[in-house]
Amino acid sequence: MGPLVVYDFISQNTNLLLAFIIGIGFGFVLERSGFSSSRKLAGMFYGYDTTVLKVFFTAAVVAMLGLLFFSLFGWIDLSLIYINPTFLWSAIVGGAVMGGGFILGGFCPGTAFCAVSIGKLDALSFIGGLVIGVLLFTEGFPLVEELFYAENMGTPTINELLGMSRGVFGLVLILAAFGMFFVGEWAERKFPREEY
Amino acid sequence: MNMRLKLAMAIIPLGIIIAAVPENTTRPYKLSAVELLEEVKEGIQFMHPDEVADMVVQKDPSLQLIDVRDKDAFDKFHLPGAINIPIADILSVENEDYLNQDVKMNVFYSNGSTAANEAWMISRQLGYENNYVLQGGLNFWAETIMNPKQPASTSPDDEFAKYDFRKGASAALGGSTLQATTDNTPKAPKPVIKKRPKKKRVAGGC
Repeated sequence: MGPLVVYDFISQNTNLLLAFIIGIGFGFVLERSGFSSSRKLAGMFYGYDTTVLKVFFTAAVVAMLGLLFFSLFGWIDLSLIYINPTFLWSAIVGGAVMGGGFILGGFCPGTAFCAVSIGKLDALSFIGGLVIGVLLFTEGFPLVEELFYAENMGTPTINELLGMSRGVFGLVLILAAFGMFFVGEWAERKFPREEY
Repeated sequence: MNMRLKLAMAIIPLGIIIAAVPENTTRPYKLSAVELLEEVKEGIQFMHPDEVADMVVQKDPSLQLIDVRDKDAFDKFHLPGAINIPIADILSVENEDYLNQDVKMNVFYSNGSTAANEAWMISRQLGYENNYVLQGGLNFWAETIMNPKQPASTSPDDEFAKYDFRKGASAALGGSTLQATTDNTPKAPKPVIKKRPKKKRVAGGC
């Protein structure tokens, strides 16, 4: 049965419509978890608020379990799922840049649009910065082109690199996630929020 | 704390189950049995040796011959430009790129047409297109192309055209016996007949 659009159960346009609806659901969950507040997001880095960790890891674990169980029941063909190709240097440098922006601005691109939709002005300035960044990247692309395309590793998955099957790695990830939740609780007690 | 414990109690057993169970590696059939039967009845997958010989002689880049016999038979003799995918290896991952593509026409061949047809059926059920079967396999190829039978003098002209084409093809394919069958029965209309196959080739080349 697989990914529905590949096997022609739904057309490309229905696929986009479903993506739109899922996107609305994503924004709803972000807003309800309180991610429109830049303090919650920056708190992840200063240690006083680990909501980001919990929400995103719970989502990742549920999605992973869902995919693995669907594959087990034969409802999806895992080899047809798109995996972004890994360009090692781009990932490292880009991740560092985005992390810096995250701490400075207190938003990431998705949550910025979430916050703008409830009318926050700091999110609007974040989006302005986003547009400036995109322009700088596009105009300066010849400078970073070599770094951008360096070290294309294809699409390795962590379970292949560690030599374990998908299911075993799934269990390892679940245990690691719950371990991190406990560490997060401890950190929240240790780094109290500065009262404004 | 309570919420996290409840969540852990729900998710960790699921994780253990998924870790313990082996992975599901079945490859589903994309065509239903009825659809495949329709295609098999029509027999659209067959290509006559004349068509294939034409493409080989013209070095048509969109043709890819695939020999489905085993390696020893392939090494003894194979058609020019053919690659060897024994039928036992047809599902292996390296060969998927040859079979599942829409750029070249893959023509399976074997000694008869049984093994080639088996290869075609399996790859058709997996949903791959652009796969065909050489009708009659190498045996029919040898009969028609390599050792073409001279048609009787009362046959229609296009029989002669086919015969000359086949002779030319077998010479071009490094086969045989153009010398052995020097049948110099001079006939008045023959030069005209010889020109016609050449015209066909030029028209087809573009």
